[in-house]
Amino acid sequence: MKNFLALLLTLFLGYMIMSWLATNEFFPAMGDVDVTTRVSQKYIERDVNGNSEEVVFGEATNLESGPANTVTAIVADYRSFDTLGEVTVLFVSSLGVALLLGGTKQRRLELNFHPNFMLRVGSRALFGIILMTGIYISIHGHLTPGGGFPGGTMIASSMLLLYLADDEFRAKVKGFKILESTTGSAYVIIGLLGLLLGGYFLENLLVNGVLGDLFSAGMIPIIYILIGLKVGSEISGVIDNFLTEEGV
Amino acid sequence: MSAILLIVVPLLTAFISILFKKAAPYMLLIVSFASVVALGYMPLEVITIGGFNAPYGINLILDSYSLIGLYIVNSLFFLVVALNCVKYKKMSTILLVSLAGLNGLLLTGDLFNLFVFIEVSGIAAYLITTTNKKPLATFNYLVAGTVGSSLYLLGLIILYAMFGTLNMADMANEIAISGASASATAFPFLLMFIGLGVEAKLLPLNSWTKGILGSSNKLTGPIIAAVYAAAIGFVFGRLITDLFLINISEVLEIVIIIIVIASIVAGEAMAFSSKKVRDILLFSSIAQAGLVVLVFFYGFVGWGVFLIIANAAGKFILFVVANHASDELGTDEVSSLQGLFVNNKVVGVAFTVASLSAMGMPLFLGFVVKMNILGDLFSEGNLLIPGIILVTSLVEGIYFVRLLIKLWYKEDNLPEVKYDFTLKYVVVVLALLLMVFGVYTAPIENEADNLNTISFVEGGDL
Repeated sequence: MKNFLALLLTLFLGYMIMSWLATNEFFPAMGDVDVTTRVSQKYIERDVNGNSEEVVFGEATNLESGPANTVTAIVADYRSFDTLGEVTVLFVSSLGVALLLGGTKQRRLELNFHPNFMLRVGSRALFGIILMTGIYISIHGHLTPGGGFPGGTMIASSMLLLYLADDEFRAKVKGFKILESTTGSAYVIIGLLGLLLGGYFLENLLVNGVLGDLFSAGMIPIIYILIGLKVGSEISGVIDNFLTEEGV
Repeated sequence: MSAILLIVVPLLTAFISILFKKAAPYMLLIVSFASVVALGYMPLEVITIGGFNAPYGINLILDSYSLIGLYIVNSLFFLVVALNCVKYKKMSTILLVSLAGLNGLLLTGDLFNLFVFIEVSGIAAYLITTTNKKPLATFNYLVAGTVGSSLYLLGLIILYAMFGTLNMADMANEIAISGASASATAFPFLLMFIGLGVEAKLLPLNSWTKGILGSSNKLTGPIIAAVYAAAIGFVFGRLITDLFLINISEVLEIVIIIIVIASIVAGEAMAFSSKKVRDILLFSSIAQAGLVVLVFFYGFVGWGVFLIIANAAGKFILFVVANHASDELGTDEVSSLQGLFVNNKVVGVAFTVASLSAMGMPLFLGFVVKMNILGDLFSEGNLLIPGIILVTSLVEGIYFVRLLIKLWYKEDNLPEVKYDFTLKYVVVVLALLLMVFGVYTAPIENEADNLNTISFVEGGDL
């Protein structure tokens, strides 16, 4: 009965919200927005600090923001500070997992199945491919969909594969810690360099190059590689914490 | 010195500190002290990040409003750390992250960036409360906090869909020039209000509070009830003054006033009927949070700020003293703490000062603030709200006096609690400040009339 009432209440609230949004003249329907009046237009035209020329893929040079992928331009350049914050969210979450689940002496959790030889060897072969894909996605974040966060998650998923396909496997957690710490610090230090040399925190100090080149967009690929490694090592650390238990 | 360092330096130190576990507590101590000192060297300015001007890039706002917030939050944070960094070594990195998050909350001028910092400081807070050793209460806090911040985000998404910007100043401008009716923005504002209300402990969104503060220790009590409460109070103040009040519908106004008054009345009533010291304090801080929001809602920014300061300093003293006793004795029943101050007179006096200031007795800071708020409300011809504040203050007075009498008088069989020198020093200094500014009111009254957030709609100068 309680669940039923909860369902009714939720449906009622949902109806209220939908009907409110539908009748609100300031809430545009999907696709009806006039983008030219909004901040998004200037992101697409790279026109925040003034740019009169047209942005052409493979030709435009040294735009104010270099990534060909507009989402990356917003996430890692125009609003890079938010990304630093999100990186911190993941950092403190993985720290919390380690704090609550990690002890000093740990061993692998007993699985109630034992992977056979073929699975173990096969997963090692796959591991490299998944890892490479993850790194590729991170490095090409300024050109193609993806970037540091999805790339890092892929790197971690290759570690998860090893953990699941081999019940003896333990990664070197200390290495993850060092990687996590150095990449995080490097991100902040890049930001501080911008403040010191350019006057703005997280300012892009390198040349942006030709839009669409692999070596373009200045700092962005470097930041995305750092984020990829950081996210990868943090989530791998979380996986290790969940698949181990205390005691030797 | 750029104010962004207040966010970035603790963050950098946090990243480094996971490699040097032994040194982490000292890093925390140094960084939190340096943050307080550095505040003296920061000019009031709007800080652009990444070289992209607002509303396209993110900006931080250091006006006199956020500066005073930074001073109180950073100083109290440093005091909490100084009292606890030896005992809770494991928390050092998390405390560094929470310092970065709290400073971000106070500084940011961007609504989405605010959400990011709510998340950062929130997750840090959940982890800090794990030291209570009450996993279920922490889990409740986590769920409530996460749902709350998601609602804030949902409200923000709707606002973004409507007005196409995330910057606070730009949003306020867009709303003002769009001519949107007040009911058009009521729903997203309500969602954002609920989201922040969870952290601010407003009724009925505060179900986590009893589990967390009711079993708090010397770290979690002061940090949640004083430091976090102050930071959220300042965030609320900024959003209410600069965003909500620009375009508020009558219905939403009534809903908010009902929520706030319910928090005040229920908080004081619950505190009145509680038998444990920590419960009394936590219910009284729910009521105070309600009062803070109410004051901002009626537009008295300056007095809202001083109310936050008086509350934060007072609650800091009360929780530190009560938590130390309950950590030592393992209980916080008033009956078993009876006579606590007979052998701890110095601490007892500080506790008394803090509670007298909280109930609004003359000669203390709390009185000055409450008096002026009541005066301002009366002069606006509002009689209902001052009446409620007066009656609840009376209730507050009764239970605090009852508590004080029990803690001061007992003949024999006294509880054995020793307070160390640092703790005594800290609470006495804070209590002295409450008294000094309670008597020497000129600078505060002067400041309160001038203090305001930047008015975004009029173009905004510092």
